[in-house]
Amino acid sequence: MPIKTLEVIRKRLEERPAELRKLRESGQKVVGWTGYNVPEEIIYALGFIPIRIAIGGDDRLVEVGGRYASSKNCVFIREIVGVFSENEDPYIQQTDILAFDATCLQNFRAAEVIEYYFKKDVIVLGVPRNFYWEEGKEYFGKEADEFARLLEERAGVALDLAKLGESVALYNDIRKTLKSIYTFQAAKDNVISWVEVFDLIQAGDLLDKKEYLSLLHETLAELRALQHNPIIEVDGSEGRIFISGSLIPRGDRKLISIITSVGGRIVGDDIWTGILPHLDLEIKEISPAGVALGYLNRTPHAALPYLDLESDRRLKKLHELLGEFKAQGVIYHTLRYCDPFTFKAKETKDVLAKSDIPVLEIHTEYAGSDYEALRTRLEAFVEMIKIKAESAAEVIV
Amino acid sequence: MSLKRNFFAGVDVGSLAAKSVILEDGKVFATGLVPSGFDSVESGLNALNLALETAGLKKEDLTYIVGTGYGRVSAPYANKAVTEITCHAKGANFLHPTVRTIIDMGGQDCKAIRIDQDGAVVDFAMNDKCAAGTGRFLEVMAGVFKVKLEDLGALSLSATELVPMSSTCTVFAESETISLVARGEKPANILNGIHHAIANRISGLFARVGITSDVFFSGGVAKNTGMKTAIEEALKVTIVKPEIDPQLIGALGAAVLARNFSKKQGLWS
Repeated sequence: MPIKTLEVIRKRLEERPAELRKLRESGQKVVGWTGYNVPEEIIYALGFIPIRIAIGGDDRLVEVGGRYASSKNCVFIREIVGVFSENEDPYIQQTDILAFDATCLQNFRAAEVIEYYFKKDVIVLGVPRNFYWEEGKEYFGKEADEFARLLEERAGVALDLAKLGESVALYNDIRKTLKSIYTFQAAKDNVISWVEVFDLIQAGDLLDKKEYLSLLHETLAELRALQHNPIIEVDGSEGRIFISGSLIPRGDRKLISIITSVGGRIVGDDIWTGILPHLDLEIKEISPAGVALGYLNRTPHAALPYLDLESDRRLKKLHELLGEFKAQGVIYHTLRYCDPFTFKAKETKDVLAKSDIPVLEIHTEYAGSDYEALRTRLEAFVEMIKIKAESAAEVIV
Repeated sequence: MSLKRNFFAGVDVGSLAAKSVILEDGKVFATGLVPSGFDSVESGLNALNLALETAGLKKEDLTYIVGTGYGRVSAPYANKAVTEITCHAKGANFLHPTVRTIIDMGGQDCKAIRIDQDGAVVDFAMNDKCAAGTGRFLEVMAGVFKVKLEDLGALSLSATELVPMSSTCTVFAESETISLVARGEKPANILNGIHHAIANRISGLFARVGITSDVFFSGGVAKNTGMKTAIEEALKVTIVKPEIDPQLIGALGAAVLARNFSKKQGLWS
């Protein structure tokens, strides 16, 4: 049975660019942001309309972006540059200010290129290479203060801490509701798929935040009425897949569509454009530095170097999510030249092998030339985990 | 009263060749191997018909057919499609139950597959968007030296030296080879270098999936003795001698799976 609220959300997304245009005509400003550690709550509290810049899947735009960025930059960054070069995306057209972070240095490079070639007003938030050190925390707190100051200049008002508190409460509610909805997709007899929840998460990058929260509550109410108590358990014939690795932005559906077409059921992810940024974000102090500290204590991005596998929070979180959503295999994907994930693929595979969780490492890009090769790998992996699950079931019987 | 005979077929449509194997009573009954054309359905049917003709059977005599290879996505003659990775694992296990690692070098890709005692895939890796180490690459090289593809292996084994080859990209390797020929290097020595360059590149796949004895070499390139020797040296392993044409292993595995699936579905007992 289709979830009615999802239809409403799709319709609202179609209407949103025109709505943003009207809001800008009435004097409001739109901040387009991208990065893993951009504290969106501060942008919102200053009265800006935040929208996330995360677009992919178009190889032609990658080529266009490659005229400005290096051909060794990842395809996502090249496409983002390509999008600004053409300026035809209905959301990008509505941005007044851009906010990038330097979690991934390719993201930082995109900010430089876009500012230089397309004369955009760009703010860059510095990010420490090590989130575990006190010096790193102190640095990021100062960067958050400076980020807020630069936004205050553009807003023409000082940051009101009461408004920041309201913003934090709103975002906390969004995160909590998303997590509740996410559990339903992985459950037995699910009425909502992971792909639908993924779309729902990404809708929040573009819609008005208060309206989005209200739509999330309606979605959750519908799910509770249809599915009651979600129970997550393994069915040997499903091929329960967890997606890890590089981001999958709006417009990029190649990997997801192949996995589902070869009989895999996606039940979880830890990707940058999926559920991960919404997990474990606890803000204890209402200030820019306090918000930054909350971001910093989440699962770190793979671009931040960390060598001790035993205490690596990213791997710990991956293990935790695999258990929670009862995944049977991990598809660890690297978007071409998204090096942090390539570098960490083997160690991730080795760590998960100790828990008997198979990992398929794949590399993708937005061109269609690797479609068949990808399909063979993904289909064989789904076959492999289904055969493994069937064998285990036979042994139990 | 006569018991009905059960025949199971596997059809593997690859980029260069289409292969089929018919099994009866756990034994290879007939095989077919034809070059692939543009139409993958027709190629698969040609291979299947050749095996049927050899066996003196009609398609209706087959209990179950499994399609594999890149042509599996459009194989209306098959009851089920399975990837070649799973099929090569089953085929190698059927012939040699002690095999735990498979190197499969076909027309357009190369795979490293690790399997368990039941022939189930434990891990695998494929070469990435590149013709290096594939049948197509060696076909180009055979063209450069103006020798038959099947003669490349023997020619390289007659080498007295190894001429290092710096590139395994098909396009760059072709121009590098032409330069080496112009420099006066002997074809056998250059080919020796080419085979070792490919073998070293393939070693990278095994760094990702691991390698456990016994090791099996399948696919059309496995018929190249020079390639086999170079891989044995690079991986420091001894490759198991195949009992049938190694190019048929995918189709054989598909036929084994055809038998298993049809039994599970109660089509025979």
